[in-house]
Amino acid sequence: MKPLNKLIQRLPAICLFLLLSTVTKAQEPTTVVDSSLLDRVNALEEQAAYIKPEESHLMIAGLLTFGYASNKTTVTYNGSSTVSKTNNLGDADHFEFSPMLLWRHGKKFLMEFEPSFSADGLGVNWAAVTYDAAPGLILRGGYLVLPFGTYSKRLAAGWINKLASDPEGVPDATDFALEAEGGIQAGTMKWSYDFAISNGMQLQSDGTTQFVGITDNNKNKTFTGRIGWLPFANSSLELGASVMTGKVGDAGGKIANANANLFALDLNLVENLTPFQLNIKGQYSEAKIDHAEYTDPNNPNTTYTFDNHTKTGYIMAALRPMFSPNKVVKNFEVAARYGNYTTPANSLWGTKDNSLSVGLNYWINWRTVARFSYEAIKGTNTVSANLGGNPGEVTKSNSAYLQFCIEL
Amino acid sequence: MKILNNKKLTIISILVLMVGSMMVILNSCTASKKISMKSGAQLWSENCQRCHNTPSPSTFSPEQWETIGMHMQSRALLTETEKNKIVEFLSQ
Repeated sequence: MKPLNKLIQRLPAICLFLLLSTVTKAQEPTTVVDSSLLDRVNALEEQAAYIKPEESHLMIAGLLTFGYASNKTTVTYNGSSTVSKTNNLGDADHFEFSPMLLWRHGKKFLMEFEPSFSADGLGVNWAAVTYDAAPGLILRGGYLVLPFGTYSKRLAAGWINKLASDPEGVPDATDFALEAEGGIQAGTMKWSYDFAISNGMQLQSDGTTQFVGITDNNKNKTFTGRIGWLPFANSSLELGASVMTGKVGDAGGKIANANANLFALDLNLVENLTPFQLNIKGQYSEAKIDHAEYTDPNNPNTTYTFDNHTKTGYIMAALRPMFSPNKVVKNFEVAARYGNYTTPANSLWGTKDNSLSVGLNYWINWRTVARFSYEAIKGTNTVSANLGGNPGEVTKSNSAYLQFCIEL
Repeated sequence: MKILNNKKLTIISILVLMVGSMMVILNSCTASKKISMKSGAQLWSENCQRCHNTPSPSTFSPEQWETIGMHMQSRALLTETEKNKIVEFLSQ
């Protein structure tokens, strides 16, 4: 038992040693890590968390519109009437599938391409490159919707338009062009400018003017420009003025020197009047072509002339209880539009049309709408009797539309 | 539906002008702020609805909003500051 006694006698000393060693170890200074190593670790952590912006980014957006259109047209001339009826699931104005490719390179370049399939077939709405040159200056080139008014460039898409049909006669000018545009702040107001030089419109031998899909027919270019003014700080009101001018006759032809001069005024008011949102949009334009002798397509040896002056305008109002607490009611919207379209009297297509459209929209979400629209157009024929026309003939067209539109 | 005659058209035009004038007066009562003082959310609300409903930020990714921002700047002629603030808000 001697060794055991010895161990018991030494036990306090052993405990004291263990206690002292523990305390000593606890008091040892913390090992200093090289600060450059810590910096490196932090940098690696930041690198791992960083989502690198893509230099090149390609995405597809676009729109689809389809629906049902029912029309009844009554033509009355000299007391007798003829009636025709049509029912369509889709036609050129009411069916469209247009995927849009947006291809951004860095933060300066954007390629935009929108092919479009409709009852007219396959076409291209636009194909252009955009360069963000400087604050307030964007340069564009390619096949562009020209800045004449606002309807064609901003409001014509089915999911943006408040009614199923387009207003009659709004010039839709798309052409190969160079464009400079931008938005500028001036105090609490804003201004915008949009100028383009394009190949230009083409005056046909019968006096009609072609604005889209034009083959350059002369050496002159057409200038189109729009100035926009947003007088209020909340951008609720925009007023715009546009011009388009250029030679439109075929080089070397009989009407080579004919000029076309167009102007447009546009209005856009969006006001939140809780619980409603009021939307008023309008555009008025006139097109004047220089005096020229035209060829009667029904009798090519005969020429005729007329005052080649076209006027068109519309005013549209829409009201939506957008701020209603009711989740269903807030998605409904009512809209109405009045339009006038007066083409040159004594031309082959002379008419004076008045139209009234009303509609009820239901917004399924911010970019998807189902709508019902009803449109009545009354047209009075102003084609010269010398050209085989029936001046005074009245055409009443009544159409009902059911339409679904989505932006993808 | 009977098409409007000139008298009715005149009445409608006057009503539209009256509503427009009322809007002008209402707007003149609101405090004016410069773009640089506005948030991205406010600019998103004010500018997108000029043509269409305001888009939900969750619809697209930040990269896609950057691309759409360039497209919309050209369409709506937004200022550079407006575009940048709106894209930043929609990308959050």
